Amino acid sequence: MNPGLEHYLVVSALLFCLGLVGVVLRRNLLVIYMSLELMLNAANLALVAASRFVGNLDGQVMVFFVVTVAAAEVAVGLALIVALYRRRQTAHVEDLTTLRL
Amino acid sequence: MVNDLAVIGLELAVVFAGLGVLLADLWLPAARRPHLALVTAWVLGLILLASFGIEAEPVRTAFGGMYRLDALALFFKRFFLLAALLVTVVAREFREGFEAGHAEYHALTCFALAGMMLAASAQHFALLFVALELVTVTFYVLVSFPRRRVTALEAGVKYLILGALASAFLVFGIALVYAATGTLAFEALAGRLETFTGNRLVLAGLLLVGAGLGFKLAAVPFQIWAPDVYQGAPFPTTAFLSVGSKATGVVLLLRVLFEAVPSLTARSGPLLSVLAGLTMFYGVLGAIPQRSLRRLMGYSSIANAGFLLVGFATRSTEGVGAVLFYLAGYVFAVLLVFLVATLVWRGAEADEIATLGGLGRRAPALAASLTLGAASLAGIPPLAGFLGKFLLIRAAVLGGAENPALYWLAAITLVAAVVAIYYYFGLVRAVYWGEEAGSASVGPVSRSARAALVACAAGVLGLGVFPGPVLGWARLAARGLGL
Repeated sequence: MNPGLEHYLVVSALLFCLGLVGVVLRRNLLVIYMSLELMLNAANLALVAASRFVGNLDGQVMVFFVVTVAAAEVAVGLALIVALYRRRQTAHVEDLTTLRL
Repeated sequence: MVNDLAVIGLELAVVFAGLGVLLADLWLPAARRPHLALVTAWVLGLILLASFGIEAEPVRTAFGGMYRLDALALFFKRFFLLAALLVTVVAREFREGFEAGHAEYHALTCFALAGMMLAASAQHFALLFVALELVTVTFYVLVSFPRRRVTALEAGVKYLILGALASAFLVFGIALVYAATGTLAFEALAGRLETFTGNRLVLAGLLLVGAGLGFKLAAVPFQIWAPDVYQGAPFPTTAFLSVGSKATGVVLLLRVLFEAVPSLTARSGPLLSVLAGLTMFYGVLGAIPQRSLRRLMGYSSIANAGFLLVGFATRSTEGVGAVLFYLAGYVFAVLLVFLVATLVWRGAEADEIATLGGLGRRAPALAASLTLGAASLAGIPPLAGFLGKFLLIRAAVLGGAENPALYWLAAITLVAAVVAIYYYFGLVRAVYWGEEAGSASVGPVSRSARAALVACAAGVLGLGVFPGPVLGWARLAARGLGL
């Protein structure tokens, strides 16, 4: 049996949900950030697979943009998390409680 | 290729302005660097003037139809330029709050502005995604710019996590739509949509795209970040978030709903009305107990997202025109409030509304400006905010003839607008009748700040009394959507 588009989409949806569960349940900022990357890559998998089955290259080009933007996002995001760690000596979401009513 | 570059001339000018500021900061002697803020403001003002030399007719496209320069795009480009110009003036007054890197702040404002302007012209999901991310990633830095303040860092990290989550939803939604329909261009998608009626993949994808855009707009259920991030961010960033970032969400939502998937939007039932009602009420009820000005503005920004969604829910040219006019009044009122707040507190971290006590005696002009801004946000006639809300409710009532649910929406909007008067009045009460909080006099107001104050006050008053020209542009822009 040859894998069809739906197989790829199911795998990609599973990866996406795994990432979402990670973002919701994990408490460490770095792990949350890794889960977010997993979600983006799930979308990339869906784009590449769809591009193959649809028969044009738009999806693959889109993946290049997503990868590039994700790299920029990581550069800024890790810098922010490191800056926060220096001030608070913590990378756990429970400790982010300064801004409350 | 050269023609394409000519079409995106305004964006190129903004990007080069940002790069120029960065380079000038390297070469200028330290003593002259503070002038860069004024130079940035002047350059943005010139680009704004130049934008009036561009004709919306005939509509021009670039990069194979990815980018479209029409009346709607031009309206939003001018709006974003004006917002960034005023934000630069606020940032100049806030300079004591930044330890270093003033020029970087102005350059980042320009880059975020370029992203917003590109977003206004998006006709393709790739451009939509890249423009939106240019805005979002720049805002991660702008929010946590005073990087020794724990509150700013915390706000930045919260914005980062929730913003990245919204981006992930957006990209996955785009992937699903592409997998089902095989295209990323709005026009092609609109053409093929009829053959995909009831396709779950398309529906799920569009809902995810809507989630990603709803985050920018701070609409329920993606509004959780707004109060915290608004409170932690420095004043100019908060102002830019509530005006620029929100309007980016508005224009992209307009493009997606009415240009990419018009047939689906027409059949979306009461979804938009329900979201509008929930967003309004979450915002106005959350704002009532707030003591921090920026947090109050955060909830107010959610409430305003709800008001804007009313225009979307009408799905009529009238409603979209009202949305655009509402935004035009909103930029002046919000910037007026943030200008005064920055002039009173300067670079300080605190922003308790109670400490505004006695401002009416200490600085009558500033107190009057703040009152004008708050009154316009509350929707007191004859100011711009009143007319904006009036037009939105009118559009809902007009649409009620076909869709009776809109009568209910109009009634709910009216109730929310009345509740909103209450918390904005709290601001005015603190200024005039609040207890004298310290005798610290307000420092001298620089000429640029004074000019910006006058411009904003004139905008708030002028749009309310002589709405003609701006309302004309707004309706012209809305007509381009072909509703």
